[in-house]
Amino acid sequence: MRHRQKKEMIAMLLAGGQGSRLGVLTNDVAKPAVPFGGKYRIIDFPLSNCVNSGIDTIGVLTQYRPLELNAYIGSGQPWDLDRLYGGAFILPPYQSFQGGEWYKGTANAIYQNLEFIDMYSPEYVLILSGDHVYKMNYNQMLDYHKGKNASCTLAVIQVPWEETDRFGVMNTDEEMRVYEFQEKPKEAKSNLASMGVYIFTWEKLKHYLIQDELNKESANDFGKNLIPDMLVNDEPLFAYEFKGYWKDVGTIQALWESNMDVLDPLIPLELDDPPWRIYTRSSNLPPQFVAEHATISNSSIADGCFIDGTIENSILFPGVTVEMGAVVSNSILMPNVTVEKDAIVEYAIIARGAQIGQSSQIGQWKRVEKEGMHRDISVVGEDITVAARSVVPAGTVVSADIEEVSV
Amino acid sequence: MNVLGIIFSYAEQDSLRELTRHRTLASLPMAGRYRMIDFPLSNFVNDGITDVSVIALKNFHSLMDHLGAGREWDLIRKRGGLRVLPPFSMTESDRDKLYRGSIDALAGNMHSIRRTLAEYVIMTGSNIIYSMDFKTLLEQHIESGADITAVYTKDLNGHPTVPSGAMILHFNEEGRFQELYVNKENINQPGTAWSTGVFVIKKSLLETLVADAMALGKYHFHEDILRRLSKVLNIRGYEYKGFLLEVSNVTGYMQANMNFLSSGFREAAFQRPIYTKSKDSVPARYFDGCKVSNSIISDGCRIEGTVENSLISRGVRIGKGAVVRNSVVMQNTEIMRGVHLDHVILDKDVIVRENRRLTGHITYPVVIEKGSII
Repeated sequence: MRHRQKKEMIAMLLAGGQGSRLGVLTNDVAKPAVPFGGKYRIIDFPLSNCVNSGIDTIGVLTQYRPLELNAYIGSGQPWDLDRLYGGAFILPPYQSFQGGEWYKGTANAIYQNLEFIDMYSPEYVLILSGDHVYKMNYNQMLDYHKGKNASCTLAVIQVPWEETDRFGVMNTDEEMRVYEFQEKPKEAKSNLASMGVYIFTWEKLKHYLIQDELNKESANDFGKNLIPDMLVNDEPLFAYEFKGYWKDVGTIQALWESNMDVLDPLIPLELDDPPWRIYTRSSNLPPQFVAEHATISNSSIADGCFIDGTIENSILFPGVTVEMGAVVSNSILMPNVTVEKDAIVEYAIIARGAQIGQSSQIGQWKRVEKEGMHRDISVVGEDITVAARSVVPAGTVVSADIEEVSV
Repeated sequence: MNVLGIIFSYAEQDSLRELTRHRTLASLPMAGRYRMIDFPLSNFVNDGITDVSVIALKNFHSLMDHLGAGREWDLIRKRGGLRVLPPFSMTESDRDKLYRGSIDALAGNMHSIRRTLAEYVIMTGSNIIYSMDFKTLLEQHIESGADITAVYTKDLNGHPTVPSGAMILHFNEEGRFQELYVNKENINQPGTAWSTGVFVIKKSLLETLVADAMALGKYHFHEDILRRLSKVLNIRGYEYKGFLLEVSNVTGYMQANMNFLSSGFREAAFQRPIYTKSKDSVPARYFDGCKVSNSIISDGCRIEGTVENSLISRGVRIGKGAVVRNSVVMQNTEIMRGVHLDHVILDKDVIVRENRRLTGHITYPVVIEKGSII
């Protein structure tokens, strides 16, 4: 006898992307594993959204640099995803009797895991990506999907008209039924951008995945192939408008901005939200210590930090040290960064484990900033050592150690 | 290691006033985000002792809540793992006087202790904070051929007054335990060997000694096993030379916390990880106008006021213009605008309303009971 729990909806999280526009920050990890918001990683957001929406079975599709992500997800325990039936599963591409191949596109990644999904015989499948920061109740979206009797419901969000050329745009009728999908249009007819969150009726999705796989010309991509195919066949596709904070943190600028959004009380990304907590793997560090010479304003500081310098408008991840006389402003210091005595770090993202030498300057800028504009963001890569008294101009990406210049 | 760890979660007597009225000593908050039991428990785990029994006596609700199944200490195990042993009464007539002493407590839980696979037992209280090398301790115990090894320290971390009731051990030239004194006059002469309450013993011997003592109506480990059997058993000492904090009264509790503000002490105390229950709270938020110096701040705090020389637990809110000095603030407490606190211990879930002032003294801190509104 086999006990098997049928699930109404399971989630498939596409976490294989490199996030190449994040440059040195994704040299060693996939984009979903990039730290965000003082103690989290980007993937904590879709994972926590799932759990808070009552979805307890999640396939995490990995491909690019999966090691860190695999170790991070582990048994899924921090998200309450170590379940008797279901839970979190890492799904890398695999070999089978017919051979095997890399995930060719987003749709192909799901196609290669048809058997996994069928194990839970779900009615609906939620497709997510691990690239966005937002808090969303997928259950409400499912109610909408059922109410509309849709084959597929796509979550959309209003974006400024001038940015529509960066998104997949949905053109809908008054009933929110999608009649046209434009990928990064020059002349958009609507400003409803796809958030990369889809609910499919599993039976329909399975059919179109199999069809799509048969088409040798197809790029096997949801946006480029599968959704247009469904539109051609007049399937009921509906847009579900999400009103809240949503951000693609795909570029250095966007990553910096959305981290800063955490510090802005006027922006609706409240992380201190007990009914909708964002869960993360905890670091087991002692509490932070704020020493005698510290001055802190408008900042978020995590466990294990040691602060003896000045911190303004900044986000410090666990285990960061800022020594006496150092100034950190408008910056993001990822785990275990050290800023030595009298160093100045401004408008920068400093990746995990980097060491900023004594009296050095990161993000140096001579011109006066215009109103509403800030200087370009500098980035220091993982485990990089910046020697004492180095000067790194604003907008520089430091991907190799900077050695001491002898005078 | 082939060892069962036993932690007594309560103190037989303490003068912690309101702090232990609603909770057992082991779940008393310490150093911001920890509870007392995290220190001995993490010590066991860090030394590879993954079979641990916690003996509970009363008011252990908060302890159960903190420990759960032991996940954060990695003690959810098929072989061994964490067991919290609630009171088990052996005699019908003694319902109201559960556990007349540590021997009684061991006897009450012998059914569980006997079942474990370990050959040795290391026992500890939860009134002390230390980081001990249990591997070396066990090695020395085996090498010396001792029946019982009693761990002592000659340095109670600058404790100005040794708590009365502390046990002093006397050894002869060969290092064999001779006699036991109970500190009554607060004497603290150099070279005195203070019992830490940590013992190593073979499990089978412990079973026999406990059964014998119970049959004779003897219930106290120090007096009725160590002292009474000092001629019969080979009882030896092991000097622990690291840091040690002892918590048995309010001043001592305050002082133990304040020790964590020294960087040297923190380095020693956190050299190995100290595990605790994870709360999934957000990182601490500091707002414009806050002033923090020489303080421990835990995650989930929101700081708008001034904090000096203080230890702030998780989820504490400190309003604009509030000043917190030389104080210990436990979790989820709210200190509103303009409040002044000096030498105060605020327990959990306390609310201090606008502009209130509370001042204690280093020798007698003000203690505000859990859940109070001032």
